[in-house]
Amino acid sequence: MANPELKTKQKTEIEDSSSLKGTFASVLFLGLFIIISWLSVYFLFVERF
Amino acid sequence: MINSYGAKAKVDPKDAKLSMAHFFVAFGALALGGLMGLLQTLVRSGKFELPLGIGYYQVLTAHGVLMGLVLTTFFIMGFQYAAVSRTAGTHSNAARTTGWVGFWLMTAGTLMSGTMILLNEASVLYTFYAPLQAHWIFYLGLTLVVVGSWVDGAAQIMTYAKWRRNNPGKPSPLLSFMAVINTVMWIVATIGVAATVLFQLLPWSLGLVDRVDVLVSRTLFWYFGHPLVYFWLLPAYMCWYAIIPKIIGGKIFSDSLARLSFILFLLFSIPVGFHHQLTEPGIDPAWKFFQVILTFMVVIPSLMTAFSLFATFERYGRGKGAKGLLGWFKVLPWNDARFIVPFIGMASFIPAGAGGIINASNQMDQVVHNTIWVTGHFHLTAATSVVLTFFGISYWLVPHLTGRKLTKAMNKLGIIQAWVWFIGMAFMSGAMHIQGLLGGPRRSAFSTYGDSQQALDWIPYQIAQAVGGTILFLGIILVVIIFINLAFFAPKGEEEFPVGEAENLDEKAPMVFENWKLWLGILTALILFAYTIPFIDIIQNAPPGSKGFKTW
Repeated sequence: MANPELKTKQKTEIEDSSSLKGTFASVLFLGLFIIISWLSVYFLFVERF
Repeated sequence: MINSYGAKAKVDPKDAKLSMAHFFVAFGALALGGLMGLLQTLVRSGKFELPLGIGYYQVLTAHGVLMGLVLTTFFIMGFQYAAVSRTAGTHSNAARTTGWVGFWLMTAGTLMSGTMILLNEASVLYTFYAPLQAHWIFYLGLTLVVVGSWVDGAAQIMTYAKWRRNNPGKPSPLLSFMAVINTVMWIVATIGVAATVLFQLLPWSLGLVDRVDVLVSRTLFWYFGHPLVYFWLLPAYMCWYAIIPKIIGGKIFSDSLARLSFILFLLFSIPVGFHHQLTEPGIDPAWKFFQVILTFMVVIPSLMTAFSLFATFERYGRGKGAKGLLGWFKVLPWNDARFIVPFIGMASFIPAGAGGIINASNQMDQVVHNTIWVTGHFHLTAATSVVLTFFGISYWLVPHLTGRKLTKAMNKLGIIQAWVWFIGMAFMSGAMHIQGLLGGPRRSAFSTYGDSQQALDWIPYQIAQAVGGTILFLGIILVVIIFINLAFFAPKGEEEFPVGEAENLDEKAPMVFENWKLWLGILTALILFAYTIPFIDIIQNAPPGSKGFKTW
């Protein structure tokens, strides 16, 4: 039987390796990039037409 | 184990031979088409004129047909044929013969169309829009390319069907499933281009009928033309989803998510052609609006793909002990051409995809339509994301098929090639995007338009495109050197065909994904809904039609 302390330590490691916070940040960046590009051409349209 | 049934670690040599036959034509087309691309950018810089009476539009047609149709279709069919053989088992003799028949039909068609372009009988641009009229042999050649690709694709479907019969109740291997989705999408999409060529352009170019309905032909072309770009993209996604995880030593984030995204591509790639025709009269705006909505549905599976790839990379990096928000990014295998070459392709898809969303938006299309922005856009999607991934695939697949090894030197040259490509494309596509926003037209030889100030302002961007085009041509020379080395000269050995495994092998993909009656039923319903009424409208209110024009 594993002792409880060891178990806790292991659990923390598993949590860390399964974290997707970097993925979350990356997709937010991606979304922001899409919105900024879209808006800049949109304002070009509004100005011209 | 999702990938183990019937899978072989090595593609059978007989199947390898057919795949390689495809790649020889594909890389031949790349070399010739690349030279044409270089000439185009040089002409547009205004500093160079074509010798021997060769026309700009002839060169443009050759570049578009060789790169957009020949290189892509041959590479994709060769890659998918090998991927099915690797994951669903060696093709039967019947399937292999079918594949060879398809290959020769496509090759014969390519030679016919190519010859007519070189003879200056078919300078009708890449889209071969009526009323520009080519020689009938050009159209017949294109028909053979399309019909040949159906026969070629049938070989993959036969092997997939055999696997399903032998493994009832089990989800098919992911790469085979993806290959078959792409082949089915291609078959449904090419019905449109086959219809316009067989019923309109061939009889018209043969002189059997005098006039052609231009809007019908353009509508049928774009019914095919948009899914065509997804036909290019999905094999790259096959690599990103199912092969890259194995190359980096990670896992596929979710097998089911990958399958669902491919189903969504199948459903939403086709009934969207009107977004290429937003500025065209004769189509009811309500139906354009409807197809724009469907176009935006295709954004969903692409965003799912982006999420899934980030997640695969982050899981792998954290498994290696990476810390912090983006520490996982650093531990990816940056010295492995099999990874970094497609990775540059993936990164390029961020601006490429953002540009695509702009193009598909009705108002924004008024800003960019028929400008060279659009050319810049598809040189990021097809000519960067897709072809860099294809190059990356060929760096392990060609030696795998020829029984050779990707050497350290070739690995290094592959990485250099990708950076050369990236830099060349940053110049060329970047300048095209900006010039397009300033109103510079696409499909046009050099002109100062009577020295108008606006056209003079475009010239620096056209020179930047020629610089980029020259760098890209160096990239083409490099990739051809690598291809020839891997096909004929690299040392004998075993190169792995990497096939990724899902992170969670207990999570079996739902069998509903393999329910072809369901998905083809929904697809047919969507297509009929999106096209029937506007198509009746277009035919009922048709003008008398146009005679053929030869502007060259």
